Amino acid sequence: MSQRGRIVVGTLGLDQHEVGAMAVAQLLMRHGFEVVYLGRFNTPARLAAVAEQEDADVVGVSVHSWELAAYTGELVDACHAVGAAVVVGGSVLTEADERALRSRGVDATFGPYARDDLIVARLDELVARTRTGAIAAPDGGDEGALAGRVVIVTGAARGLGAAYAERLVREGGAVVANDLDADELHELADDDRAIVAAPGDIADPTTAPELVAAALSRFGRLDAIIANAGALRSGTLLRIGPDDLDAVYAVHVRGTFLILQAAARHWRVEAKAGHPVAAAALTTTSSAGLFGFLGESAYSAAKAAVIALTVVAAEELARYGVTVNAIAPSARTRLTAWLGDGPANAEDPYAPAHVAPAAAWLVSAAARDVTGRVFEVGGDGLAIADGWRSAGSTALPRGASVGDVGERLRRLVAEAPAPRPILRADVPGQARDPLEDETTGRGGTLTAAP
Amino acid sequence: VEPAGVPPRLVYRPHDVASLDYERDLGDPGEFPFTRGRRGPGQNGAGAWIHRELSGEGSPQRSNRQFHELLAHGALGVDVIGDTPTMAALDPDHPMCAPAVGTGGVSLCRKQDFVELFDGIPLDRITASHSLPAAFALAGQYTAAGATGVDPAVLRGSAIQSPLFGEDCSYATFMPFHLRMRLCLDSIAFSTREMPRFHAYLEDTYFISDGGLDVVEEMALGFVEIREVTRRLVARGLPVDAFAPRIAILVNCRMDLFEEIAKIRAIRRLYARMMRDEFGAQDPRSLATNVAVHTSGLTLTAAQPINNVVRGAVQALAMAMAGVQGLEISTFDEAFRTPSHAAHVVAMRTQQVIAEETGVGRVADPLGGSWYVESLTDELERRIDAEVRRIEAIGDVGELVEAGFFRELFLKGMDRHAQAVQTGAQRVVGVNCHVMPPAEDTLLRDVAEERFEADGDHVERIRRWRTARDGPRVESALAAAQEAAATPDADLMPAIVGALEDDCSIGEIAGALRAGYGLDPDPFAAA
Repeated sequence: MSQRGRIVVGTLGLDQHEVGAMAVAQLLMRHGFEVVYLGRFNTPARLAAVAEQEDADVVGVSVHSWELAAYTGELVDACHAVGAAVVVGGSVLTEADERALRSRGVDATFGPYARDDLIVARLDELVARTRTGAIAAPDGGDEGALAGRVVIVTGAARGLGAAYAERLVREGGAVVANDLDADELHELADDDRAIVAAPGDIADPTTAPELVAAALSRFGRLDAIIANAGALRSGTLLRIGPDDLDAVYAVHVRGTFLILQAAARHWRVEAKAGHPVAAAALTTTSSAGLFGFLGESAYSAAKAAVIALTVVAAEELARYGVTVNAIAPSARTRLTAWLGDGPANAEDPYAPAHVAPAAAWLVSAAARDVTGRVFEVGGDGLAIADGWRSAGSTALPRGASVGDVGERLRRLVAEAPAPRPILRADVPGQARDPLEDETTGRGGTLTAAP
Repeated sequence: VEPAGVPPRLVYRPHDVASLDYERDLGDPGEFPFTRGRRGPGQNGAGAWIHRELSGEGSPQRSNRQFHELLAHGALGVDVIGDTPTMAALDPDHPMCAPAVGTGGVSLCRKQDFVELFDGIPLDRITASHSLPAAFALAGQYTAAGATGVDPAVLRGSAIQSPLFGEDCSYATFMPFHLRMRLCLDSIAFSTREMPRFHAYLEDTYFISDGGLDVVEEMALGFVEIREVTRRLVARGLPVDAFAPRIAILVNCRMDLFEEIAKIRAIRRLYARMMRDEFGAQDPRSLATNVAVHTSGLTLTAAQPINNVVRGAVQALAMAMAGVQGLEISTFDEAFRTPSHAAHVVAMRTQQVIAEETGVGRVADPLGGSWYVESLTDELERRIDAEVRRIEAIGDVGELVEAGFFRELFLKGMDRHAQAVQTGAQRVVGVNCHVMPPAEDTLLRDVAEERFEADGDHVERIRRWRTARDGPRVESALAAAQEAAATPDADLMPAIVGALEDDCSIGEIAGALRAGYGLDPDPFAAA
């Protein structure tokens, strides 16, 4: 079996327009696919039989004639029965055609002047699915959850951001990937050409507008942002300095604020121009922001600020068709080195890829009605977090003395449930207690914005 | 971008055309070598062209209604395209055909269909261009004229002959090269004899080049085919002046307007010199070729379909300046379908605005003498001629066809075009620059994307007709066609015309011809 994938290419029925099929075959070969070229006058049965005989991953049909519609059902059934995905492309396909074909089980469709890199990326994904046997599964014809959506992901060079980008593309989306680390970013984008690398410091106010512009110029639209960039300067309150605090705030709070604002400005323009907006923003908080994390004072404060920013933005941007949610992921990344190495396989509950489907869903069209929420994702569970609320109350009479107020406060404390303890790195054998480590600890170590 | 590889200069000067000799290289319009036009000032047809639009959808009756509408809007000719079964010489009730009947053109498979198609059309006054398998179209037009009392001698129009490239370029009829060439030569000879005003040989470089060939490749292949057909007709003993006046060329027009104008001027000169010097033609009508244009569908886009109206207009204006004899504008819905009624009207009006309002036809060859246009004309002529010689030097043209030589050129052309658009080297507004979000791109989109169903009723009609025919008569006519095909020097046209008269269908006749070559009559028998 050819490494990148083996693809049967031809036209169907009496559709004589062969140059499209020929050009697609050339394109695929140039990108390292193996092509079994069948030319014109094929039936669905013939395409499927050849796909089976040649152990092909995908059957690609080039169309220039409406007669395709008569063959679609038979084509999808015949090809899926032999474990091959079905892809249809052609200059006569309208967007309505493409939707109709996909709803009838065609795995991917490409209209006039579809971009080479998007075609290739989608085929890679289909080849991967075919080889895991997913194509023959009952939901084989399901279209990607992010089909046609363009998403900006910050902090995308590695870890969670990279996992998000890969997942979004796998679901049919396109990604503008931002990070400080241009080298890593370009590597990610080279592997998957539905990803555009847009390096830059997200805390710099010029970067976020540039990312929005990149999405529009490269993909013609912007549907979502995932503010994922993060930086870590660990240390107890006594250890870290104001520069550390500023560095952490710059990426987490200022960076999130700037990309939210730049994207929201674009969506507001769209909405005011009368174009329906179905946009989503996903920010990144942390259990540290929700509950506090021992030895991570700056990081915990920054992540708590992100939550407040998120719920306010959700309320403010709702009128423009924008949802804003936060995710508190648990995964092995450079920010959670204390988690240690995982089993390095798909079974790892702390693999970044394990978090990615939740992020993808939250920025998909399916999550239109969810906004202003904070989700904890990772390990073996999903949870929805709720904010601060009163655990007890009492009156505050005017003119009350210090002693009087003290009494009332003491009563509230006594009657309220015990507060949730803050988190600490207590994975056995993986971390030391930062309080015992005041002089030699990790304080001041910068883990650059991933 | 230099589509045909001609490096552009920023400005042209007199010395760029220093070697140009007016009498030798240009001549007045209507004078050898016809660079400046086929007709001279004051001659019939000077400054005017036949306004027509590609049409055909559904049954012959439905297409007939389209013809009448177009003529009512001022069309001066009709141009009929068959649906995919018709183009493949298959009948609509063939099992492979049902989903495609009438959707991409008209369904035609018998004499009665041609009668219905041309019902009420003044065939003595307007021209009928056939984008159909030529031998069957000519036989169909001839028999329909007979059936309706029109003298075939008054018929005007054209039939596309594509013996070399058709099979590789969207018009496969599932016949071997030898048979295709025979049909081409026999039908040209037949038409020259029986329908002397008809252009029995329309060399169509539009369809071969609209897959991405540049102007030099387009015209080089066109000339290779004209030369091959001419040589073979002459070898049969036909005097060149007997058929050369009935050769016309249908070319493409893309967006590089000066290149397209220079191309047409270059081929008029090349053709005149070739016919006189190589084939010994003497009749001035043999030397002055008739050039018609179909504007490029490949330059039109599915995005922002209204932009296609603009493209059609500038292409049509350029072609009017080039002095063509016939013009068809690819319509704004080209990316999606054969033309709708609305698209037909817009295209007709475009031609009429240019013809009636701009005064472009007032002066013959208005760009003649432009240093740029003359220099480009020379350069393109030189390149086209060199490419023809290069191809002919490689080997026997028939063998090149069989070896897939031309197929390779078409493949490379399409790939090159696709790459140029992808990389942005070729700018296409709405596609790789000045893109609009889909939500905003709504103007004319509903019209452009409108569709209709395959014509199942027509399939039923043909089925009923088939069973009601005189069986033995049909059988014997088909046997005669098969016999003619199997006989090396037999003329195929009497057998084809006779079979149409005897109620055979085109699919059956094509099958009989295949059988005469020892092939299965049904090209899909194996499937």
